[in-house]
Amino acid sequence: MPVVELNINRIRKLVSGNVTRKQILDVLPFLGLDIESEEGDEIRIEYSPNRPDYSTDYGIATGLQGLLGIKKGIQKTPIKKKGNYSIKVESTVTKIRPYVTGIMASNGKLDDVAIKQLMNMQEDLHDGIGRKRKKSSIGLHDADKISFPLTYTTVSREHKFVPLNGSTEQTINEILANTEVGQNYGSVIENTKNVPIIFDSDQNTISFPPIINSALTTVTSNTKNILIEVTGIDKEAAEDMLSVVVSILQTAGFEFNELKITGNKNSTPQLKEKTMIYDPKFTSEIIGIEMSPSNMVTCLKKCRLDASVKGKKITCIIPRYRFDIFSPMDLTEEIALGYGIANIEPKLSPSTTIGQKNDVTIKTKLISQTAVGLGFLEAMNSSLTSKKVLYEMTKRDSSQIISVLDSKSQEHTILRDSLLPSLLDNLSKNIHESYPQKLFETGVVFSKGKPIDESINLAIIIAYKDTSYSEIKAIMQSLLRTNFKINSETKTSKNNELFSKGRHADIFVNEKKVGEIGEIDSNILENFRIRTSVVGFEIKLSGLIFD
Amino acid sequence: MSQVFHDIEKKILETLQKVPNQTPEQLSTNTELSIDQVRRGIEWLRLKDLAIVDESQKVTFSLGPNGLDSLKNGLPERKLINMLKDEPKTFDQIRSALSGAGFNVAIANAKKNGWIKIEKNNSESLVSIKEKPIETPEEKLLSFIGEKTISQEQVSNPLAMKILLSRPNYIIETSEKTKTISLTDAALSLDTSASSSGAIDVEADVPSVFAARTHPLQDTIDEIREIFVNLGFSEILGNMTQSSFWNFDALFTPQDHPARELQDTFYLENLESKNPATSSQIKNVSSSHNKNWKYDWKLSESQKMVLRTHTTCVTIKYLAEQKPENARIFSLGRVFRNEKVSYKHLVEFNQIEGIVIGNNTTLRDLMGIQKEFYKKLGLTKIKFWPTFFPYTEPSLQTMVYNEKLGKWIELFGMGIFRPEVTKPLGIDKPVLAWGGGIERIAMLKYELDDVREFYNNNLSWLRSA
Repeated sequence: MPVVELNINRIRKLVSGNVTRKQILDVLPFLGLDIESEEGDEIRIEYSPNRPDYSTDYGIATGLQGLLGIKKGIQKTPIKKKGNYSIKVESTVTKIRPYVTGIMASNGKLDDVAIKQLMNMQEDLHDGIGRKRKKSSIGLHDADKISFPLTYTTVSREHKFVPLNGSTEQTINEILANTEVGQNYGSVIENTKNVPIIFDSDQNTISFPPIINSALTTVTSNTKNILIEVTGIDKEAAEDMLSVVVSILQTAGFEFNELKITGNKNSTPQLKEKTMIYDPKFTSEIIGIEMSPSNMVTCLKKCRLDASVKGKKITCIIPRYRFDIFSPMDLTEEIALGYGIANIEPKLSPSTTIGQKNDVTIKTKLISQTAVGLGFLEAMNSSLTSKKVLYEMTKRDSSQIISVLDSKSQEHTILRDSLLPSLLDNLSKNIHESYPQKLFETGVVFSKGKPIDESINLAIIIAYKDTSYSEIKAIMQSLLRTNFKINSETKTSKNNELFSKGRHADIFVNEKKVGEIGEIDSNILENFRIRTSVVGFEIKLSGLIFD
Repeated sequence: MSQVFHDIEKKILETLQKVPNQTPEQLSTNTELSIDQVRRGIEWLRLKDLAIVDESQKVTFSLGPNGLDSLKNGLPERKLINMLKDEPKTFDQIRSALSGAGFNVAIANAKKNGWIKIEKNNSESLVSIKEKPIETPEEKLLSFIGEKTISQEQVSNPLAMKILLSRPNYIIETSEKTKTISLTDAALSLDTSASSSGAIDVEADVPSVFAARTHPLQDTIDEIREIFVNLGFSEILGNMTQSSFWNFDALFTPQDHPARELQDTFYLENLESKNPATSSQIKNVSSSHNKNWKYDWKLSESQKMVLRTHTTCVTIKYLAEQKPENARIFSLGRVFRNEKVSYKHLVEFNQIEGIVIGNNTTLRDLMGIQKEFYKKLGLTKIKFWPTFFPYTEPSLQTMVYNEKLGKWIELFGMGIFRPEVTKPLGIDKPVLAWGGGIERIAMLKYELDDVREFYNNNLSWLRSA
């Protein structure tokens, strides 16, 4: 979950109403915000990816005002139509990045902390809704450096401008090669000859979406008017992003002016609220509390939504930036939050069902109990293991290997098809412990099938200087006989590099091979740096003691 | 303190109670134990503060060659007197009779004793008896020692001994260290016969042995499974390898969601599920995605095989296939996340997930089940906080107060399946879902701060946990 760093005094000021530090800390979790750490006035808060507005203190303050009852209901966003701000979309962008949307935010002021938070929020929006800038990406500009109207078009990769945080002109190719953002996100536009660009009426480059803004329009603490532009391949996602930034800038004190958008498939954003009419009975049934519709309306307003009772139904108005609300179930959660989760009393209804363990669990446990009775310690290893342990050190056949893609851990790249290799690895890491060492493991192994077969195996291993084939065979037969009355035989098998020549066998039950048993070969033991004798066996329990 | 004695200790104690102050050699003779056994027994008793060991120097005397000769033939001066018994003799006569150095010694001592007088006659010196010679203390001492070895304490005339010692080769003086063993007052009054002869030192340390046992994490898994069963939940099993359809799509996770990316989820190389679900399930899930997430849902994405990222895929598949009217079921097993392994993250861990459908499926019921679950685990200080899960709404998490850490920690999550999840799969009733990772609970139970410990299979830990 993403994390935001906040100053508690800033929040108190934004919330206003003489709210105390304690009140804020107490209420934060009930907005769904986890306090990760607290150092003096600086707190780190984890927020959910479905609420990007909570990535700034403005968004959090808006939420706190609601739950604390300081300000309730929706924060309306009037968009003025004065001024002549527009952006024209040329058809060359259609196949590259077809949509642009935006707005003018005027007469506000951001301090350095707010600018930093906005930049971080921008990155969260890019990674989340923007799907790493592919779906949509956002740019904030000092509007006073821009002469309208703007043009959203394409340029060649030789086009030059001074990028944000830069001091000299660079070509598109240079920016993609030399800047961090260019390296990270260049792939979004890698397959096109030309790239998207926004020019102003003086032919100044404003933005090179989705990579970087121009240095010309850098937003600073002196900026009073901000142009917000969002481009993308998904119109909905682009407007979602815009609406979040607008809600934050509105809390920060900005007013909004329309940015007219013209061009193929594009339109001027309306940032219209959504209306949902629903039956309050549904909420009572879900939460399990009889609540009056008017009480529910109060709860919704505490969550910064608008609502009213109309007949037997509730009409709820949802601001554009709350695109996490899909259906009445989401409104029910809002009502629960407005009511206060702490005020909902848990209720224990008697179960009308009888619980039962799965047969596989029961029988596997019986096997474990016998193994413990025979003196074995249970080991637990990962199903996802390494090629080295599973195949190389044990010289096993790797032709049916099942790999995962792009594992972050070298030790976890292959799904195991056998338990013995990991047990040998366990012995190898315990050579300084006293012998005899006797281990068992039951667990799932994987093999290629349709598309993958999973079965449960049992493996047992014994290590000490005097152990022998006879000892392990006796253990194996005892394990199958106890509880399950299975008689097993061992039959000479063809050579297998895991075991010593002439000292291993296949395990048969009712003429069917169910496993392998033997003395581990000295070369294998050397690979694991084990300096004593080791015997072991592995059998497939699936199909033997359960289906 | 219980007094248990080894047989050796017992014999030594009994012997010393009868005859105090014995040397180890004496004890060996009296107890019929070997000198080694006696020495060991003495050491044990000394450590128990029952015996006192006095170390001292012992000096003894016996006769040397000259002493032995004198014992037989008398001291040189006595020999001289015997010669003069009948008549005085000249120096020359005496010298020829008392050979060597004996002459000077005999004359000097006899003169000192006042036995003889020497007269000068012409050029000759004539020696005659002056008075009747009595037995000297040195002679008495010589015959007292005889052929024995005597101790210093037995010497009654130390002056005589001093004289004899000054004369070469008369007396052999030896000195050796000896130990004398005596008993403390406590030992003197001990009744050794009271302790039974078969008793052993029951307080002594013994070597460790290790119990064979099930894995501590498995024990926690079993304990939690048992609680679910007690709460009326029945166990279902499902594969760890799943199609993206059941792991993601059926749970309303859009196909371009970051959680589905390679860096968070393990995809299986070159493996896909041709028919991940029935055609109507695919159709309905697809249209729910298209409508709500507003994108173009692709079958090929849903066919990719993954290592399940949660057990929810097992429970949702069960619901979609069985469509139970009234059920409590759970699924328990390994789940996978493509994360860097650290003290708090594993790529593979155990998760349990329970669902309730049918009667009593309100948020309050869900909270009630949680409260009962934690109560059975011995955790009574709990509270609920809102949270976010992509496929439940409302969603809550349980916070449990840990006394040792002195803070609230997040345990299981819970929620009601979104209608966007259940409706396309033909499930019309609300479904409660709850669960979480088991290692977290096991870490609290075994007081571990590194989750990797569970899978290290370190024998010293497994044998002592």
